[in-house]
Amino acid sequence: MSVLAAIGEILVLIGTFFYFLSALGLIRMPDVYNRMQTSTKSATLGSLGVIVGTGIWAVGKGHSLAWIVQTIAVAGFLLLTNPISAHALIRAAYKRGIPLWHGSVVDKYAEHLAGKTEANKTSEEETPEAEGVSA
Amino acid sequence: MVSVLKRGLAIITLLIIGYWLAQGLAGVPFGQDKMLVGQYYLDHVKQQTGAVNAVTAIVVNYRGFDTLGEVTVLFIASTGVAALLWGKRRKRTAKTEGSIVLTTGTRLLAPFVMLFGAYIFIHGHLTPGGGFPGGATIATAFLLMYMAFTVYEIPHRAFEKTEGLVGMGYVIVGLIGLAIGGYFLFDWIWQTWGWGHNNIGRLFSGGFIPVIYTIIGIKVGTELSGIIDNMLKEEVSE
Repeated sequence: MSVLAAIGEILVLIGTFFYFLSALGLIRMPDVYNRMQTSTKSATLGSLGVIVGTGIWAVGKGHSLAWIVQTIAVAGFLLLTNPISAHALIRAAYKRGIPLWHGSVVDKYAEHLAGKTEANKTSEEETPEAEGVSA
Repeated sequence: MVSVLKRGLAIITLLIIGYWLAQGLAGVPFGQDKMLVGQYYLDHVKQQTGAVNAVTAIVVNYRGFDTLGEVTVLFIASTGVAALLWGKRRKRTAKTEGSIVLTTGTRLLAPFVMLFGAYIFIHGHLTPGGGFPGGATIATAFLLMYMAFTVYEIPHRAFEKTEGLVGMGYVIVGLIGLAIGGYFLFDWIWQTWGWGHNNIGRLFSGGFIPVIYTIIGIKVGTELSGIIDNMLKEEVSE
C-alpha cells in the first residue's frame, strides 16, 4: 500500500516540476506561439502527473478506489480538451495577425494562405472554370 | 488631468468604504463556533430530509421558497432577453467556421459535457453541486456547439416547451406537498411515503431533492441556452 503512496508522491512531484517549467516558459519565451507551446504542453503533462498522482496517493493512503477512477476521468478530460483549447487560441492569435518572433525562419502557413489567394485571383481572372486546382 | 482626479477620488472613496467594512467585520471572531440555526441543520439534516449534502437539503428542502424565487429570476432574465431582442428578423451571422480540430473536438466532447451536467444535478443530494451547476454545465455544452459551428441552432420549440413544463413541474411538486402535508414544498416523498429511509447516502434517497434538482437542472440548462441563442444572433437586413 505504501508503495502506491510513494508512486503517487513521485508523480505529484514530477507534475509540480512540469508546472514550474511551464510557468518558466511563459516568462522566458519570446513570442505568443513559443509561450503557448511551452505552457500548454508542460502544463498538460504536469496536470496529468498531479491529478493521477493524487489518485494513486489517496488509494495508497487507504482511501477508497473511487479516487483513482475520478482522477483518471478528470485527467482524460483534461488530456482531450487542453490541446484543443491551445489550438484554438494559437489559431485565433495567428488570424488576428500577431507576428511571429523576429528570429523565426519560415512561415509556411502565410505562404500557403498567400498561394491560395493568388491561385483564386488567377483562376478568377483567367479561367473561372478551374477553381481550387492548385490548392 | 480630470481622469487622474476622478481615479484618485474613486480610489480614496473605495479605501474609505473598505476600511469601514473591515471595521465592521473586525468585531466578528474568526473561526469560532457561532452556529445558531446551522447546528440544527447539521444535526437533523439526515433524518429530516435524507440528504447527505446539507447545502442542497437547505436550499431545496428547508428553504425551498428561495430556490423557487431564483428559478423565477432566471426565467425572468431569459424572458427579458428574449423580449428585448424580439421582433426583428434575426439570424446567426457567423462568418468563419471553427477549425476542423475544434469542430471535431466539440462534436466528441459535447455529449460528455451534457452527461456530466446530468450527473451533477442527479447527484445533488450526495455530492457538491445540484441543479444550478448542472444546468450551467449543460448550457456550456450548447455554448460549445454554438461557438464551433456556424449553422448550429437549438431546437426552439422543444426547448421552450420543456422550459415551461419543468417550471410547472416544480410548482406541481410543491402543490402536491401542499395537498398532502399542509404547506407548500412539503417533502412528501420523504415525510409521508418514507421512501428511501433505509438507504441514506445512496442514489435513491433524499426525498424529493433529486426530483426537484432534475427539474431545476433541465430548466437552468434550457434557459441559459436560450439566452446564449438570443445573444448570439444578429439582425439581418432583408
